[in-house]
Amino acid sequence: MKKMDSIGIVRYGAYMPKYLLDRKKIAEAWDFPSIPGGISVSNSDEDTITMAVEAGLDCLGELNPSGVDGLYFATTTPPYTEKQNATVIANALDLRNDIITMDITDSTRGSSIAVARAYETIQSGNANLILVIAADTQKPMPESMFEYQYGDGAAALLIGNKDVVLSILGYASTADNVIGPWKRATDEYIRQFEGKHEGLYGYSRNMLAAFKALFKKLEIDPSTVRKAALYATDPRMASSIGKKIGFKSKAIEGVPFLEFGNTGNAFALMTFMLAIKRARTDDLIAFGNYGDGADAILFKVLDKTALLELRKFSHGIVGYKNTMIPLKSYPAYIAKKKLLTTDRYTRKASPVRSWRDEKFLYRLYGMKCKNCGIVQYPIQRACFECGAKDNNEEIKMQRTGKIFTYTLDHLVGGVYYDTPTPRCVIDLDGGGRILCDMTDVENPEEVVHIGMDVELCFRFMHPGANFNNYYWKCKPIRFPNITEEDEE
Amino acid sequence: MPRQGIRDRVAIIGVGYLKFGESWEKNAEDLLIEAVYNAYNDAGIKEPQEEIDAGWVGIQYYFTGLSGSTLADYIKLYGKPMTRVENFCASGMDAFRNAANSVAAGTADIALACGVEKLMDEGGSGLPGFREFGHPVLPLPSAPAMFSMAATRSFHKWGWTKEDIGRVAVKNHANGVHHPMAHFRKAVDLETVLSAPMISDPLGRFDCCAMSDGAAALILTTPEIAESYAHAGDYVLVKANAIAVETMTPWYKPSYTFTEFNSTVKAAELAYKEAKITNPKKEISFAEVHDCFTITELIDCQDLQFSDPGKAAEDLKNERFNADGEQPVNISGGLKCFGHPIGATGCRMLVEITKQLQGRADGLQVKDPELGLAHNLGGAFTVAAVTILGKKE
Repeated sequence: MKKMDSIGIVRYGAYMPKYLLDRKKIAEAWDFPSIPGGISVSNSDEDTITMAVEAGLDCLGELNPSGVDGLYFATTTPPYTEKQNATVIANALDLRNDIITMDITDSTRGSSIAVARAYETIQSGNANLILVIAADTQKPMPESMFEYQYGDGAAALLIGNKDVVLSILGYASTADNVIGPWKRATDEYIRQFEGKHEGLYGYSRNMLAAFKALFKKLEIDPSTVRKAALYATDPRMASSIGKKIGFKSKAIEGVPFLEFGNTGNAFALMTFMLAIKRARTDDLIAFGNYGDGADAILFKVLDKTALLELRKFSHGIVGYKNTMIPLKSYPAYIAKKKLLTTDRYTRKASPVRSWRDEKFLYRLYGMKCKNCGIVQYPIQRACFECGAKDNNEEIKMQRTGKIFTYTLDHLVGGVYYDTPTPRCVIDLDGGGRILCDMTDVENPEEVVHIGMDVELCFRFMHPGANFNNYYWKCKPIRFPNITEEDEE
Repeated sequence: MPRQGIRDRVAIIGVGYLKFGESWEKNAEDLLIEAVYNAYNDAGIKEPQEEIDAGWVGIQYYFTGLSGSTLADYIKLYGKPMTRVENFCASGMDAFRNAANSVAAGTADIALACGVEKLMDEGGSGLPGFREFGHPVLPLPSAPAMFSMAATRSFHKWGWTKEDIGRVAVKNHANGVHHPMAHFRKAVDLETVLSAPMISDPLGRFDCCAMSDGAAALILTTPEIAESYAHAGDYVLVKANAIAVETMTPWYKPSYTFTEFNSTVKAAELAYKEAKITNPKKEISFAEVHDCFTITELIDCQDLQFSDPGKAAEDLKNERFNADGEQPVNISGGLKCFGHPIGATGCRMLVEITKQLQGRADGLQVKDPELGLAHNLGGAFTVAAVTILGKKE
């Protein structure tokens, strides 16, 4: 059934941080009226780069990353505003260097812009496979209703021209200088004008115009669309605009706002992933995204079986949701989101050294000694075990292993913070031994033990040299044996 | 092994130190000059400018001082070879090694070995972090975290417990009470040790040694020249001195066990060979070993062959290492109570061994010792130094 000339989604992936803050905790902290649900909260060592790496790894699965020709990264909360974030992500994902990368920032519409641009790049013949990743971690002003609004998360789509599961039929866009949310370069927190105006003149008008143009161009009746994933900051908005566009009401997918909050650029893609869960062959799936204009994209499911197969590779939004745990308090949220400024230990760093050591720091390569055969990490000139000089092959380390020994450190870097921190010596599956701090762990006294299975994750280490120093940490296995299907 | 070692070719003719502790009113200069002049006085050095040919000073941290000029400037001994030695916690004993080798080689008739550290000047509790050391991104655990990893694995392998390591603290505190130069002079019971707050699980506060300021110094010469100095009758001879260096990142070495410190094992082998010691359990009368953490002392005792593998906890429990035991370990109170000004510690241990052998210990006196051993271990089990001293024959 697969059409060789179609371009579309080959795989999808996601990343949701481990923590979920019940909105009641915010209500209690500030004596606000409560609203239901929760917001997803990233850990203090996470940002959009690290979450994008997780989503990228989830999306690529066992695929060889060297087949990827490009990485388009969409976010409104980039860790760097000068220096390309996509390149950092590409490094950690071990993508090639002769690829096309870009950051698409400043609007929550970035994720659909990225999908459309990936489509066109492949159409142009300049690439065959492009990874689109969207991530956001908005920092809301404390003691404001924004705290109810924003969650953290990331989502990824692999767009290609081979093994396509959902083909892109076409897209249409509008651009509009809308009075929606904004953040000036000097602003720490997001700002917003009265919401009603935006609802009427920003959101409705643009979504409607984009879809009208799309369906006219494709000569398709919107009522034939099986599922519509529409960005909306409020589930009712999606339903009402969907009906105006002409979708059947049961076709309109609910946005996971109550569950996670608005995850910015990841939000529309998350909704999309929910929408394709039960799709059948030949189903039409509409994808609408908004932010200073709107994008409308229409997909067609090429093969239901192939689509179901993808769940084996991706944990998906539902899978992640089932492994999230409640954050114990509002202060824990403040700490994880770094909403309080405190003095922190900083290591002296040398960005140029990180650049030189990119192969083992970011790409996680070690080496296998050709003399004694021992796999080891990091890459060194002489073998750690037999001393053979310059006689090794560089090999990629596996990201899973077992704890050989550890300590629960109560005094990390001279401050009591998020302690005890497990510091673990890990024997990696496939060989090599590594030292990693453990993150995303509760009750380490009870769970950490010799022989414990762990997985590595890419995290922010420290801001030495006023540079974002990233490296790998370990965490308890997030999905011991759970797949998305098991959880339904 | 080298063709010719230094056994019986170097004599210690004078030692000096001062009370270790939080010396808020003293600079590194005050500590070092007092320790050195105490050693001069002990040896009977009257004209240092004429008599001392060379000096080595052990210093770990840059804020204590850089280069040999730290030593030259403080004691105003200029125009001679002076070198700062940094080799983690073995810095002081490596300074001693350089001085001893120089005397044995004949490049110095009388050499000064000393060490100093002014930890309190850095501010904060615990050893100053490795902010400016090592790889800027790869994790680098604190000292307690490093040794805790060895504790976790040793507990796993040998079934040791928190009580087993806690007994090291109890013993060393009991010894420290009697030493007038020690930082901590208070006995503790096992319950106190076990209920202390965690630093790096399984090591609690009482499993960690004292953070102190201090300095110590020794005057070295040949046995022939020693005959014309104050301790002509009871100078002490260097029987062996060895240093072994292993990796600073043992956590990347796939074969590493975390239940022994390879550097100590190697340094001990080298030292025993040079001193012609075949049965350390019997032949070493007493020892000052590196108890930066309680777990370290237990593993040291095995690495130095005082205990069979896995048996150190049992030997300790059976009081073998007590002050009045078969083989006293850390009769001074150890790093645990005496204090651990990094660069000074190795020299301080050698001062203790020397005075014990001469029968003039300031704290508890070992009964009729023949051979005393001093051991340092620094970094992530990286550098070990072993020195064996004996009485004049």
